[in-house]
Amino acid sequence: MPPERALRIGIGGPVGSGKSTLVAALCRALREELRIAVVTNDIYTSEDAAFLRREGVLPEGRIAAVETGCCPHTAIRDDITANLEAVAELEREDELELILVESGGDNLTAIFSPALADVQMFVIDVAGGDDIPRKGGPGITRSDLLVINKEDLAPYVGCSLERMRNDATERRAGRPFQFLSLADDPTAAPIADWVRAQVGLYQAGQLQTAGTSGDEHGHTHQHAHVDDQAHSHGHERDDF
Amino acid sequence: MAKLSLLLLSDGRFPAGGYAHSGGLESAVADGLQVADLPRFLVERLAAVARPECVLMLAAARAARVPDLDALLCLDAEAEARTPSPPLRTASRRLGAQLLRSACTVWPERALIAAYRAASNATPRAVAFGVVAASTGLDDLDAAQGYLYEEAAMVSAAAVRLLPLDSADALRLLTDAEPTLNRLADEIVSIRYPAARIPSAFAPSHELRSLAHARREGRLFAT
Repeated sequence: MPPERALRIGIGGPVGSGKSTLVAALCRALREELRIAVVTNDIYTSEDAAFLRREGVLPEGRIAAVETGCCPHTAIRDDITANLEAVAELEREDELELILVESGGDNLTAIFSPALADVQMFVIDVAGGDDIPRKGGPGITRSDLLVINKEDLAPYVGCSLERMRNDATERRAGRPFQFLSLADDPTAAPIADWVRAQVGLYQAGQLQTAGTSGDEHGHTHQHAHVDDQAHSHGHERDDF
Repeated sequence: MAKLSLLLLSDGRFPAGGYAHSGGLESAVADGLQVADLPRFLVERLAAVARPECVLMLAAARAARVPDLDALLCLDAEAEARTPSPPLRTASRRLGAQLLRSACTVWPERALIAAYRAASNATPRAVAFGVVAASTGLDDLDAAQGYLYEEAAMVSAAAVRLLPLDSADALRLLTDAEPTLNRLADEIVSIRYPAARIPSAFAPSHELRSLAHARREGRLFAT
């Protein structure tokens, strides 16, 4: 039986790491094969949604902006009600297969509530400093995919990719991470492949999330709690 | 334990999306409001905006205790008709929907909350609050005080982000407003038939400002 609602993938990370550009690239790469919508969470009103609309990556009605009162981490972790309402509105309009939920640029501790994102990726960039993976934090250690963006800038900002690779390997205890350069690969091919794989697992009822259960080492795997979310309210709007 | 539901509903951590709203303060600051003007802004907002909404909330709480779902849906229409500003109407609907969403998870055994949520197309915040307050055992006075407190606390919390103001000083604003809060709550709960006494107009300056605010570039808060 196909899932009752779209897969929700959270995309978090610090300001300027390239989340919006990545979201635009993913929409372009996947929009022919999947019914996609995007929810943005902006520090100021709807900057990121306006960017995606300007880029024309999706029809207007497939992009929703959540206003966060300058608290983007609150909106994705502590009080996700505005995001869930935005998701419900998108799903009322269209039968969707994938919703990308982009967080507002925040700090290293911002991570999605498991009730909002089934799986999540965390996007950092080499220009932010090659010590970021070492610093850790839930986004670095527990996200389902760590994206290390702007790989092409490494020689210009004195960044050791080797050090980032070693630190990321150690901090993430086996969870995947991916170097990326949207300048060299505007289609974000490896990330699009990862998203395809998540959608495939989800639609087959086999999606497992390792990172969001609060277990630092990720040895216990938790099924994405798709079903209990849909059944906990008994409400016709909860078709997601 | 009715007091627990009052504490939960009044707690800023109750997930209902209020953090994205300033209660009109951001647009007032854009028009020149300063720290020294905050006490007056708060008292005026309570009297002009929160009071009429609180009468509506009380009518909803009484209808919820019956329980009378049709009466609640009539109050939806009364609320919508009294909110001519589209941004404020949208904000009220969303805040109500978000409150109901979390309340259904926190109090799944209170069936009226889910029933109203399923039946209502509008979910104005005041009606939704009345439904949740009454369903979780709050009496009229606790519900009115809780509603007015939340209105005041929204302004106080937003003030810390919009003006050079320390958090403790922002709470001092609330203790200074206590006589106003008590007076309004006492007056509102003494209304015998609140459904027939909902004021016909809210606050025109607030409504007009909300329209300009919705178009403002780089604002922090939705309203």
